[in-house]
This record gives sequence, C-alpha cells and structure tokens, in this order.
Amino acid sequence: MTRFRGWYWLLLVAALFAIAAIAVARGAVSVPLSAVFEALRGRGDPTVIAIVRDLRLPRVMLGALVGAGLGASGAALQGSLRNPLAEPYLLGVSGGAAVGAVIVFALGFTADFAVTLAAFVGSVAAVLVALAVSRVGARGARADLRTLLVAGVIVGAFANAAIMVALASAEPNTIRGALFWMMGSAADANWPRVGWLAVSIVVAGGALIYWAREIDVLSLGEETAASLGVNAERSGRRVFLIAALLAAATVAAAGLVGFVGLVVPHIARRMGLRAHRPLVLAAALIGATLVVAADLAARTVAPPTELPLGAITALLGVPFFLAQLRRSA
Amino acid sequence: MITVSDLVVSYPSAPKNAVDGVSFVAASGKLTALAGPNGSGKSSIVRALLGRADVVRGSVSVTGNDVRTLSLTELARRVAVVPQREEAAFPTRVSEYVALGRYPHLGLWRAASKADDAVVSDALEQAGVTTLAARDTDALSGGEWQRVRIARALAQKAPALVLDEPTTFLDVAHEMAIFELLSSLARSGLAVLLVSHQLNLVARFADTIVLLNDGKIAISGTPRDVMKADRLESIYGWPVVITHDPAVGAPALVPLRRPLTL
Amino acid sequence: MFLSRRSTCIALALAISGCGESRAPSLAASDDFGDPVRIGPPPTRIVSLNPATTEILFTLGAGTRLVGRTKYDLWPDSAKLIPQLGDGIQPNVEAVLASHPDLVILYASQDNRPAATRFRAAGVNTLSLKVDHISDFRRTVLLLGAILNDSARAKLVIDSVYRTLDSVRTATAKLTRPSVFWHIWDAPVITIGAGSFMNELVDIAGGKNVYADIKGPSAQVSLEDISRRNPDFILAGPIGKSEIQSDSRWRIVGAARDNKIFVVDTLLVARPSVRLGEAAVSLANLLHPGALR
Repeated sequence: MTRFRGWYWLLLVAALFAIAAIAVARGAVSVPLSAVFEALRGRGDPTVIAIVRDLRLPRVMLGALVGAGLGASGAALQGSLRNPLAEPYLLGVSGGAAVGAVIVFALGFTADFAVTLAAFVGSVAAVLVALAVSRVGARGARADLRTLLVAGVIVGAFANAAIMVALASAEPNTIRGALFWMMGSAADANWPRVGWLAVSIVVAGGALIYWAREIDVLSLGEETAASLGVNAERSGRRVFLIAALLAAATVAAAGLVGFVGLVVPHIARRMGLRAHRPLVLAAALIGATLVVAADLAARTVAPPTELPLGAITALLGVPFFLAQLRRSA
Repeated sequence: MITVSDLVVSYPSAPKNAVDGVSFVAASGKLTALAGPNGSGKSSIVRALLGRADVVRGSVSVTGNDVRTLSLTELARRVAVVPQREEAAFPTRVSEYVALGRYPHLGLWRAASKADDAVVSDALEQAGVTTLAARDTDALSGGEWQRVRIARALAQKAPALVLDEPTTFLDVAHEMAIFELLSSLARSGLAVLLVSHQLNLVARFADTIVLLNDGKIAISGTPRDVMKADRLESIYGWPVVITHDPAVGAPALVPLRRPLTL
Repeated sequence: MFLSRRSTCIALALAISGCGESRAPSLAASDDFGDPVRIGPPPTRIVSLNPATTEILFTLGAGTRLVGRTKYDLWPDSAKLIPQLGDGIQPNVEAVLASHPDLVILYASQDNRPAATRFRAAGVNTLSLKVDHISDFRRTVLLLGAILNDSARAKLVIDSVYRTLDSVRTATAKLTRPSVFWHIWDAPVITIGAGSFMNELVDIAGGKNVYADIKGPSAQVSLEDISRRNPDFILAGPIGKSEIQSDSRWRIVGAARDNKIFVVDTLLVARPSVRLGEAAVSLANLLHPGALR
C-alpha cells in the first residue's frame, strides 16, 4: 500500500500554486506570466491590470477557497459518518441553498448579496432540519449517526420538490437566472466575497482540523469511541454541523459545485493518508487545486462561452464511480 | 475494580429485561469471567458500563464511582473496553490505531508525547503484534485484528480492563497466549472482566466465574463451585459431564452426544 | 391540401391576393413547423401568442379580432385591453381554447410543438411562425395579410417599414462604423449574434456587432472576451446599464470604463415588428447623431 512521504506536501502545495499561476495567466485574453507579475504590482496596460487584479485573481482565489472548503468538509464527514460515499451536499446543504436562491430569484431581488445570503440561510436551515429529523428516527436519546444521512436525503428531496414548484410558474428570466446559479460558477468573484469566504474557511476548517483526532476515534464506531471517552452522537453532530456550515459557505459563494467533497478525500486516502488531521488538510489542498483547474477549463474549453463550474466537476463523478466499481468487484 | 449492583437493563420494545437484577464485583488483581448462554445478558452489562444501554435500576461503578457520574473521558481513563465487534470504515495503520488508545489521556491539542509512544510500543509487544505495526487494519486476518484491538485497550493503561469475547477468531496458541496475558495483567493489579462463552478456558484462568441465565445470575463463584454438571445441564439445556484432568488443573465441561430424534 | 416551401407559400398568397376581394378558395400554405395552414374565410377570433404578430395584427387593422395575447404584448396601448392568456412559450392550452379562437398564432420554438399539436387536434387553425429576422417580419406580414384577405394593406405596411429602413441604411452607409456590444442579460452575460434581427438593425443603423461571427441569435459570453473584442459602444436596457455601472469587473471593458453606454428602449427594439423603422432610427441617432435629417 502507498505510504505518504513528507515531501508529498511540497508536491501538493506546488501543484496548487502552479495551477493557480496558469489560471491567472490564461483566459480569453492571454497574459504572459511576466506581465501577470507586472500587473500584480500595478504596472502595464490598465486593461490587463484590471483583468488580472479585478477579474482573474479574485476568481482563482474564490475557486481555491471553495475547493478547499468542500474537500475538508467531505473528508471530515466521511470519517465521522463512517461512510465513504458521504459528501457535504447529501446532507441537505445543496437543496436548502438552492431553495433560498430560487426564492430570491422568483421574488426579483437581484442584488448580489441577496442571493448569497439567502443561499446561506437556506442551507443552514436545511441542515438544522436534517438534524431534527434524525432525532425523530433515533431510539431514545441515542441518535444513530446513519440516520443523519437519511435525514439529509429526505431534506434534499423536499428541497428539490420545492424548487420545481417554484420554477414551474416562474418567468423565463427567473428560471434562467436560477439555473445558472445552481450550475455553479466562480464568475461572481469579487474581493469582498473572497474575504468573507476566506474567513469562514479558516475558522470552520481550523475547527475541523482541531477536532480531527476526535474524528479518528469516531471512525472506529460508536462502542469503541465510547470506550475511548468520546460520545459518538454529540461529537458526530458537532463535526456534522461544522462541516455543513463550511459547505454552506462555499455554496453561498459559488453555487453548487458537486462531487468535489466526495472525490477529493478518496484521492487523499489513495496517496497514503489515514489520520484525519493530515487527511483534512490534504483534502483542502487537493480540492483547491481541482476547483481552480476546473474553473480554468470552464473558461477556456468553449470560447466565448463560459461553461458552468458545476458541469465540469460533475464530470469527475464518472471516473470516480467507475474506479469504485472496479475496486469493489 | 468494577462493581455491578442490582443492575436492571431493558431495551425498548423488548418483552422482558435483558439484565434483571445482577450484582457482582470484578475485583482488582483478579480475573473475573462473565459467562452464560447466548442472550443471557452478558454484552448488555458491558454496554451499561459504557452508558450505551438503558439502565432501569441499579448501577455500575468503576473504582468506586457510578459510571453515570463520570464523564466519558474519565471513564475511559479508568476502564478500557474491547467491544465484541469492531469494523473500521476506513483502513488505518496498526500503529496509529493502537496509538488511539492514548486518546483519553492526551491534552487539548491531542498530540502524543514520547511517553505515549513508549506506552504504545509496550502495548504492541504485550499483545504480540509488534510485527504488524506497519500494516493497514484492512490487511489483517480476523485473529490479528482481535489482538490489535486488545493492544489498543492495553495502550489505555487503565486500572480495569473489560473484554467482550476477545478470542473468537484465535487459534489455540494465540488464544492461550492472550489468556496468559490477561491472567498476568490481573496478577499485576488490574481488574480484568472477561465476557466469554468458552467455559473451559475461563475455568482454567478465571478467579471468579459469574454464570448468567436469562438476565439473572444462575451461579457464581470459583470455577470449582460453578462447574457442576447438573446445574450446567439445566442452564444450557444439553447433557454434559465435568472432567478433572490433573495435567489441566481445572474442571472441564464435555458435552455428550445426543442423537437427533427423527 | 398540399405542403409547400415558404417561398412558394408567399407566391401563392400574393397570387391569391392579386385575384382581388373575391371569395378565395380554401388553399393550404405551410408554417414554420411544416404544418399545413388553411387560408380561407378571414378569422374573426384570433389569439396571438407573440408580441410581434400582435403588433402586426393591430397595424393591419385586425386589432378588433384579437381575443387573446401574451402578457408581454403591450403595444399599441389598445393591446392592453385584450385579455392576456399568459406566456407565449409553452402556453396554457386550456385558457387559449376557452376563448374559442379560430386562429392561434404561436412562436415556432421547439417548446411550442406540443401546444401546436394540441391546438390542431382541437380543430383550431394554428400558425407557428419564427420571427427572428427582418425577412421573417416581411413574410409574416404578407402571410397574415393573405389570411385576413387584406394583402393590399399588408404591402403598404411592409413598404413603409422598408422605406424607413432603407433611408437609415443609406444615411449611414458612408460613415465609419463603430463596433457595438449589445448587452441583453447580466448573469450570465448574453448578447446577440448574427441570427438575430437586432444584429441586422445594428448593421442598418451604421454599426457593427462585435459578436456578428456567432451564427445563432444569441450567445453567452465572458467579460474577458468582450474586453478582448473591445467594442466602441455598449447598448443596454436601463436595468442593464445600471448593472454594468455598479459592477467593478466591467471596468476591463473600455466602453464601460469610459461610460460609453447607450440606453435603448427594450419595448421598441426587442421585437422584429412594425416599428422596425423607428427602432432603426433610434439606434442610428445613438450611433451617428445628426446623420439623419
């Protein structure tokens, strides 16, 4: 089996920086790397400076933060829920966010922060409902963590129904706007958005890394966890909530970017990582790299159209599930 | 030591209590065995110890404290439990898995110290799995996995040790080795509580056997007191004889053949 | 009944109209779905599910025959008095049938095929028309004129519009053409391509659409690409203009940075209809002020 070497960390960080550099340099207007550095320092053609500083750099950073958040969230959830197919979107986050966004579109509020706020509130509400529903399915005071996944699926199904009803009688412009948002995009990146997303990722991600040792214990099962002093339900719910908030922040910032939270932890594990502290961190790095690459592809594959980010990442799903199938066969 | 006092445990939607008024003591420095037919309530007592079963009446205490008054971490420092079944969702390295036994003792940031590492190596050696340290847990045989789990409990270095069917998959050599280990641990001062349905092994190593039937204590005492053919026959519902081989030094239960009536 | 190609259909319509006001025999033509259309006695209860055809019908004097329109058909003012039956794409078939029309006019998009089939199945004369190019406008007016048995008026309408268009074209022909970006929608950014009559309008008004190389009627484009094509002017509706001005990322486009954004009246220019002439004039006044006298 693979063993994770120390220098793999350098590899991961280098890969992220390399793809980020390429992403800032490439686009409809090709900017050579030297010009990129000049532009960062505020020198050169004002259009190029504006493109690099106001368009590409925030966009690359947003993509990296979204990928990092989703990767870390997925790694934490898979470990604490003891399920290799768990991913942040399964727990109601995506459904709730989409309902919030669609309502805003349908009501005609086009202000930038309106959709972001509504998406975040929607996903938090959905997560809390999922937690409440899981308690209903619990025996006595001990909620089986597996019911959390089922509860999330239930909430997601309800959200889908609500979205369909809302869009059925909506204006074509509303539908177009809502669909475009739901397909995920880093195009709305601006510095304030990057700012609050960065704060959320650092705070929630930091919390996950702090509790990563507890996730190690959780992943052994409820009885073993209890014998090591960890209350599986309370601890599991805590990790669930933080991971869900992390994912909600990414959805609020960039819409639905699927499969990243599912696939990235597996990549990290294939590289030889087991303990959750390094695993969550590596998943964040790999996730960031992946989303920046996907966004680059979205921008450059079919000019002048920009493909939705979620469409590119959804393509990840195919090889992933094929690989899973081969491994289980 | 572990004290079980008039314990009554029930599960929701079960017709009768799983444990119906059981009292016994697993003293320090002794190996105590909980035995009995399937479904007699042995594992329920272990679950009640961990706070994972509904205690209707009575209590379980460890080193004088009712487990319900202790936080799970404090409990984990006082008693190490090896549950009957454990399936890890993801593979871990054996050394890292055993190192998790130190978790209840680690500080805020949960970083291990050199002293912790030493305890882990000792535990690996005691359980006889040092050669497996670099392997992944999903690459172990059933018996190897069981010994690794025992190593984890040993790494906890708690004054009490509870094991639920710890030798199911082990061959003779490994089984005997584990029992010798448990026996020596008991002699060194730990309170060892062993749940096992293998009466013969238990009869050779345990200081006290508590035999349960239908949630109540049927017999308890030294192996000699408990291994009586007529009592065991009525409890297990199968004809048996008790033999005494001087080389073995302990009574052994031998089930008789009973041809099936067609 | 026979199916024929569009040009033959027009020839037939003209031939019929040339026969005068006598009772025309029921002859079939075909619409843009390839379905047969009966041209017989003029319809008296028309539902028009397309802003362009509604405007054309009013101009042809058939406003009184309209019993239904879409909620977007707002010109002329008297159109607002006609009951609105909802959307033109995937219309409410029951609501339309409840007005007992003898002619239903649909926009020929794929979304409307099921509706067209249902109208036909109910025995209602259905006309599905694609009205995307200025030439589509011409043929629509002729066809509607034939159906209303008033081809003379149809010709007058067409001639008047084309006269205006030609005069604008001539006035701007010799002038330097500024490049233009037409902002239709903001998230995502959508503009017009060669397949749209708006592209033709820009051309007539003496401008050049920077996305004329796109074949379809519209395209989704990125800010960077717009910046690369560097249009001289931006055309946008009032909401579009404020969206551009409030978004700092548009500063990478020179025309946005220098505030060279012209506001267009979307009601006027958004459909290829009887006010095409006015539309072209208004655009030419923006791009070449003073060129028209």
